[in-house]
Parts: sequence; C-alpha cells; structure tokens
Amino acid sequence: MVAASGCAVARPQHYYRFGVLPLQSPTMLAGMFLPLTDALEQALHRPVEFVTAPNFASFMRRVRRHEYNIIYLNPLLYTRARRWGYHVIVKVAGEPFTGILVVRRDSPIHVLGPHNLPPGLRIGFPDPNAYAATIMTRQYMEARGIHVNRDMTVKYFGSQDSALMAVYYGMVDIAGTWFPSLRSMPRHVQQSLRVIAQTPPQPQMPIAVRDDMPAPAIRRITQLLTHLTGTVQGRAVLGHLGFSRGFVVAHNSEYNGVKP
Amino acid sequence: MSVMELDRAEMAAAAEQQAPRLSIFRTLRFRLVLSVAIVHAVLMGAFVWSAVNKQSEAIRSELQNRAHSLITLMAVASTNALLAEDLGSLAEVTGRVKHLPDVIEGAILDVRGHVLASTDPHEVGHYLQVPRARTEIRGRHRLRLQEQIRVAGQRVGTVLLEMSTRHVQSELAATRDEGLLFILLALVVGSVAAWVLSLLITRNLHTLMAAVRRIGGGNLGVRVDLQARDEVGLLGNAFNTMAESLQRISEQVHSEHEKRTDAERLACVGELSASIAHEIRNPLSAVINSVKLLDRTDLPASDRAQSIAILNTESLRLQRILNDFLDFARIRESRLIEDDICALIGEVAGLIRQHPQAAAVTVEVECEVCPCPARYDPDQLRQVVWNLMLNAVQAMPDGGELQVRIVRRGRSVRISVTDNGCGIPDQLLDKIVRPFVTGRKQGTGLGLSIVQRILMQHGTTLSIVSHMNVGTEMSFELEVV
Repeated sequence: MVAASGCAVARPQHYYRFGVLPLQSPTMLAGMFLPLTDALEQALHRPVEFVTAPNFASFMRRVRRHEYNIIYLNPLLYTRARRWGYHVIVKVAGEPFTGILVVRRDSPIHVLGPHNLPPGLRIGFPDPNAYAATIMTRQYMEARGIHVNRDMTVKYFGSQDSALMAVYYGMVDIAGTWFPSLRSMPRHVQQSLRVIAQTPPQPQMPIAVRDDMPAPAIRRITQLLTHLTGTVQGRAVLGHLGFSRGFVVAHNSEYNGVKP
Repeated sequence: MSVMELDRAEMAAAAEQQAPRLSIFRTLRFRLVLSVAIVHAVLMGAFVWSAVNKQSEAIRSELQNRAHSLITLMAVASTNALLAEDLGSLAEVTGRVKHLPDVIEGAILDVRGHVLASTDPHEVGHYLQVPRARTEIRGRHRLRLQEQIRVAGQRVGTVLLEMSTRHVQSELAATRDEGLLFILLALVVGSVAAWVLSLLITRNLHTLMAAVRRIGGGNLGVRVDLQARDEVGLLGNAFNTMAESLQRISEQVHSEHEKRTDAERLACVGELSASIAHEIRNPLSAVINSVKLLDRTDLPASDRAQSIAILNTESLRLQRILNDFLDFARIRESRLIEDDICALIGEVAGLIRQHPQAAAVTVEVECEVCPCPARYDPDQLRQVVWNLMLNAVQAMPDGGELQVRIVRRGRSVRISVTDNGCGIPDQLLDKIVRPFVTGRKQGTGLGLSIVQRILMQHGTTLSIVSHMNVGTEMSFELEVV
C-alpha cells in the first residue's frame, strides 16, 4: 500500500491524541467529542486526534503507555491515571456525577429493596470499571442490602448505549448507567425507560492531561474548556457533548475521596 | 463455302481472337465480392466496435462499482474499530477483504496516516501521506481508491484499496478477439455468398457476352437460351430479338447487294461490250475497206501496197486488243507465297531496261531493306510491276528517269513507280484504271485495269499521284511476313 499511496512518511509528532473512555459506542462518542477536538485544534494550532478504545481495560492500558495526551474518563479511573503521569485540569460543571438505575417504563419494579426483588432479576452494566454506571450503582445497591452478584444475574455490555438498549429490548430488567448517556439515547428510547434510583454524587468526570505536555498548551486547553459557555461556538460544542454547563477548573485533591 | 461465308467465318474468328480479356479487378464478380466484403467489414466493424465499447464500459463500471462498494463497506465496517483503535477488528476487516477477487491491497489508516490494518502485515505501523479528498486513480493494471472515514462531518481515518484490473483487461481482450473473429467470419461468409451470387448473375452475362462476340464476328444466327427470369433473362430475350432483327436486315441487305451486283455486272458487260466494239470497230473498218480496195483489179500498185500496209497494221492492232482483253479476262485466283519482293522488282527492272522504248530512260531501283520478304503471287506481281514500269516508260517518249522504291512501313511494304513524264490529265485520274480508258493513242486501256484487279486480289489497291508535265507516281502496299 506504500506503493499504492506513493508516499510513506515518518511518524507525525505534531498530533495531540485525545483519548475518551469508551462509555458509549465509538461512533456516538466521536459525534460528541469531534467538535471539541476541532475546537482544541484551533486553540492549540495543532491537530488533535479523537480516539477511544474497545473497552475500559484497553483504554487504561493505553493510558498507562502514555498513548494519549489528553484523556476523558471517570473519576475512579482517573485516580489510576493520576499515578501514571496525568493530572486533572477541568471537570464537567453543574450536574452532579451520579449513577442511575433504569428499567422499562412498563416494568413492575419501582423501588429497590432486598425484600421486594423479583426472582431471577437480570441487571446489565457497561463495564466492570464504569464508575457511575457500575461501581457507584453497585455500591448503592450493596448499601441497601442487595447483593448484586447473588440476587441478580449480571451482564456487561461493553458500553452505556449497549446497556441501555439491552433494557429497552428486555434483555435485562435493570441497567446501571448515568444521565449523560441516557440523554444521548433516541427520544423514543428515553421515553420508554424510567429511572428508579440515583446514587449520591461524586466528583464529576475529569479531563486530564499528560504531565509532559507543555504548560502553555495546558493553559490554552484549560482556558478553552472553561470558556466554552461564553461563545456560540463553545455552546455548540457543549451541545454535542451534552454538558450544557461546560467545564470548570478541577484539582487532583477533589478526587482524593474517590475509591472503588 | 462462298466467299461471303468464308469472310464471315474469318471475321468471327478474328472477333473471338480480338475479344478483350478483362483484368480480374475490373470484373463485375470481383467488384460485387469486394463491395459485399467492404460492407460486411464496415458494418460488422462498427457493430463489434460498439459492442466491445459497451461491454468494456460495463466491465469497467462493474469493477469500479464493486471497488466503490467494497471500500465504502470497509469504511463503514471499520469506523467503530478505527475510533477505538481496535486493531483486531480492523485486521479482521482487512483479512476478509484480502480474500476477495481482484483485491491487491487494502489498508485502514487513522487521521494521522498511521496504518492500523492492512492486507500486507508489514505495512501496519507505517505512516502514509494521504490526500484529504476522495480519490480514484487508474493505473495500467490497477485501480486505486481512497475513501475517507467521516464521523459527524469530520475525517477520522482513511481506507485505501487497490484492485487489479488484469481480470477486466483479459475479459476485454477476449471480447475484442471475439469481435475480430466475428468480423473475419462475416468477411468470409459474406465473400463466399457474394461469390456465389456473382456466379449466378455473371454466368448468364458470360453467355450473352460470348453470343455478342459471335455476332460481332458476323454470325447473326446466334441465339441465347437463358433460363433466368430476372433482368438478365429480359436482357437475353431482348438480345434474341435484336439478333433476329439484325439477321433479317442482313439478309435483306445481302439480297439487295446481290441484285445490285448483278445489275452492275450487266451494266459492266454492256459497257465493256461497247468499249470492245468501239475499239474494234475502227481497225476493223480499216481492214474491211483495205480488203475492198484490194479486191479491185484496177488498183494502182502504190495504193495496193498502202492498203496491204494498213491491213497489216490494223490487224496487228486488233490482235493486241484481243490479247490484252484476254489477259484481263483470264486473271486467275492469286496464290500468295512468301518471297523477296526486291529480287522480283530487280528482275523486272532488268527486263524493262532492255525494252526498245526505254532506251532513253534511266531506270533506278531503291530497296530500303533488302531482302524484303512479302506475301504475293510472283507471276501476277511481275505483271503488275511490268505494266507500271512500261506505263512509266511510255509516259516518257523523249526519255527520262524511272524510279522504283521499296519502303518498309511497319507490317507492310510500299512499292512506288515514279516517272517524270507528261503526267495524267486530271479528268482521267479517277477513271484511269477502268478498262479501255487510256491517255495514249496506241494504248488499249487495259494495262492498269489488269494491275488494279491483281492488286485487289492481294488485298490492296493502286494509288496514283500525277501532275501534268511533272510526272506520275503509282504505288501499292503489300503485307510483309
């Protein structure tokens, strides 16, 4: 194919790679984040490549290998990334970071309790490492005396979208997810689902940068992200992301309390 | 066989021999075959060219569509895996593409040009500079396509695909060869068909042509029997009608000619009889008167001697007239042989030099080519030359020059006898060869008539050019061997 294209080149060093945790399908994530990477390219005067990963584990392996310059991930995974040379610069503003449990609108399940669980209940999660959708909702249910692994049949679907579509099609009875993913689903899917529980809030989803990035670039990224709400173009970017209130500056200390 | 029938047979043979032989390129048959072959070649060529073009376009289009479908499918199938940098899934895509027909190479690149998957595993990990637009490049045997993978309007990667067109080329070549074969076949079939058709048409034309040649040779009894019911058949019928008409007219003409000839013969006999009577009457009257005088007993001796002298002179004259007339009447058929004319003329010239009337005449013989073989009857031609030379000598009673020239002219030889005598009056020139017409008192007027008859039997005539008090040239031509 080198012969076919006619020009092989050395590895381009000028690209910044923006790694996004595979919370949803890659195409959907691309639809959300490509406007943002476009805006970052204009701010940094360097191309920014949007990438995600097949699953959480792969994503974190790449984080550990420093394959991304900028990452968007959940608070729990960020605590690991921090150890591997990344630091948070902003986080999603406004909306509390909570996990939710959803059922079909016509489901008989309205309240979760250890004594009113129907037998053979099936629950679906995106990924074992999905913080809000899996870990926080599991913690929520365990705190209420529900032993998830014992009382329910657990299935992992790889992404938030898949977990939501699974409950929509009746493949599971309950799905663990979070509000941004629910809002990104088609309207008829949203209207067919019902939220039955919401976990206590945690620090919001962070955007972190690799420690070896130049300080001026980090400053420009931070400035861009925190000022998106001030411009029409910025609000359009946020509209694609589903984060209407934009980003605010965040610090590592805010995530000290995040634990699995 | 009469003379006329003999002439007709000779004319027919001559016509057959002189019939022009057509070059094969000028024959109707050749032109018909050539026309059909050209029409076949042009029509089939155009048809095959159009068919091959359409098929070629269809084959190319099919390959192009297949390539576009495949690269689009690759782009769709690899979008998620590309965004997730799921190399395994991408490798699965390129692995499947690799085994499809005509695929040479396929690769999936991210937005940086980083090869994430390829049908050639050695290329994975390399970086390529790829255009940002969708492209299609046609090489000699390759079709290279490049399709961008776009999400939300933005390019996130590129799919490269290279397909071989050898299969297409071989199909096109096969189609072209098949077309050429069809053209060749059409040429052969068309030519054979045209040949057969031309045979059917020209067979009757050849029959007609042979009949026309025989008619041209004088055989007016020729008829054609064409079985065709087409235009050639109509032509054959028209030909038969024309031949019948010609034969009828010819017979009428022949009959009229015989009648006229008979009338001319009778007139000639009458004229001849009158001439003979006229020529004989005067000497005969003199003889009768002299005999009457001699019968008188009282005739003086001097008158008796004079009467006897007149009797001798006029009786000799009567004898000469009768001898010449017998010579004229007894001219036999010519027996032509091949012989040297120069020798004959030299011989006659020798005799004329010894003639008493030629004592003051200088006789010269010029032979351009000697010997000069020609076809003639030696006895008759000797008489012709003798008569002409004697005429010339008698035209110069006071002496002069007599020239005989033998000149070769192509396939003939011209013999001329020229004198510088008194010449022939103009009023006699056109009838000098008639019997008993002469410009001399002592002449019988049969010498040139004999010459003319003999020459006519040799297929030639006597030409006379004369100027009063300057001289006369008499000439004729003979066929050389």
